Amino acid sequence: MEALALGAEIRDRVLSEVGKVVVGRERETDLILTCLLARGHVLLEGVPGVSKTLVANAFSKCLGLQFRRVQFTPDILPLDIIGGFIFNLKDREFEFRKGPVFTNILLADEINRAPPKVQSALLESMQEFQVTVEGRTEKLPSPFMVIATQNPMEFEGVYPLLEGQLDRFMVKVSFGYPTPEVEAGILKRNLSSMDLNDVKVVVTAAELDAMVREVDSVTVSDDILAYLARMADATRSESSLVLGASPRAMVQLLHCARARALLRGRGYVTPDDVKTIASEVLTHRLTVDRAAALKGVSRNPEGVLTAILDRVEPPR
Amino acid sequence: MVSNELVLGALLALNVVLYASLVFAALRLRRRKFSASSLSDAFKGLELALKEAVPDLPSGFTWEEAVARLRSSGVHTEPMEGALKSYEAYLYGGAPLPDVDYREVVNVANMIGGMPQGKRGGGASIGR
Repeated sequence: MEALALGAEIRDRVLSEVGKVVVGRERETDLILTCLLARGHVLLEGVPGVSKTLVANAFSKCLGLQFRRVQFTPDILPLDIIGGFIFNLKDREFEFRKGPVFTNILLADEINRAPPKVQSALLESMQEFQVTVEGRTEKLPSPFMVIATQNPMEFEGVYPLLEGQLDRFMVKVSFGYPTPEVEAGILKRNLSSMDLNDVKVVVTAAELDAMVREVDSVTVSDDILAYLARMADATRSESSLVLGASPRAMVQLLHCARARALLRGRGYVTPDDVKTIASEVLTHRLTVDRAAALKGVSRNPEGVLTAILDRVEPPR
Repeated sequence: MVSNELVLGALLALNVVLYASLVFAALRLRRRKFSASSLSDAFKGLELALKEAVPDLPSGFTWEEAVARLRSSGVHTEPMEGALKSYEAYLYGGAPLPDVDYREVVNVANMIGGMPQGKRGGGASIGR
């Protein structure tokens, strides 16, 4: 099958399979798939009970990927995530025991409950897809993606992710409460028993690998690149923001837009690909000026970003 | 015998009607149908018509947003969506300018009010 057509078909297959156990999370699933193809990591933000973990679990299952879940707690150690050297009494030597990070999809549940030292332990694996312990470097399996979750309502006993750590996440997906229609669908779905075993593998490893490589061949015109540059400049010169989009953020937005185009069966990026996904890629990297917030500007950078996106003219 | 006041009142009413119709005709003349010589021109014309007809459409609008807006206003955009896909492939994908029927794009532009007088979009021209 032609690569572009396969991209659109894979998206349909994944959304339909995840939809067997999760109701009304098509947009979120789509974003996670986009991020996986773009070789990025996802931060899922939402209050408890809005199906963040279920989406992550069903998503990895339908792709046939290895999945591990780590519950982050205040007493967790870096060793519990990346692994370390353990003395083998039988062989009387130290051997490297791999931690749960050696998987395809790592669900870092409630990441902001772990101290910064543990959060930082994940940085190398997220950035360089490898782990280094005492001078020994181990490559992580491919594909590798961290899906972290955090509850925005918690303020006690948590260690908020710093800007540098947030920047490692390609997208932040907000899981809001469902609409009444979706809620009714969820309740109806739960009248019968729900089993993750119902989720079948719908994408082969070869197909996924081909798609990840195909993202690099999606065309991005000079006009689109200029549009991205204007957008970055607008966030940096916006008076109500103290921190605009970094060059890394814009590169990640570009990768995401390419992956989005591929998943829609297109071999080129349109301004819609950029604009639609810009909020999820950029919002968590922007910081609103406190003085501006006092003057009535929303504390939420999403509102500021929306105004910027409405102002920056795309190529037409 | 008709009083002078009555005649004056009738003349005044006639004046109001005449001037109102003149203003109405002038407003109608401000918008004229346009024709396009290529797919590119058709979309340039549609862009200008959109900006005029939908003043609250932000300057950063994309084609997908514009089409969604038109659709929500009851405009049948389906016939022009094929042309839009070809235009985007040309504009952003580096494909050659396709030889597709762009009459539907022109129709939609005219349906929403045509181009404002004095504005020209690429090779699009104001017709009579």
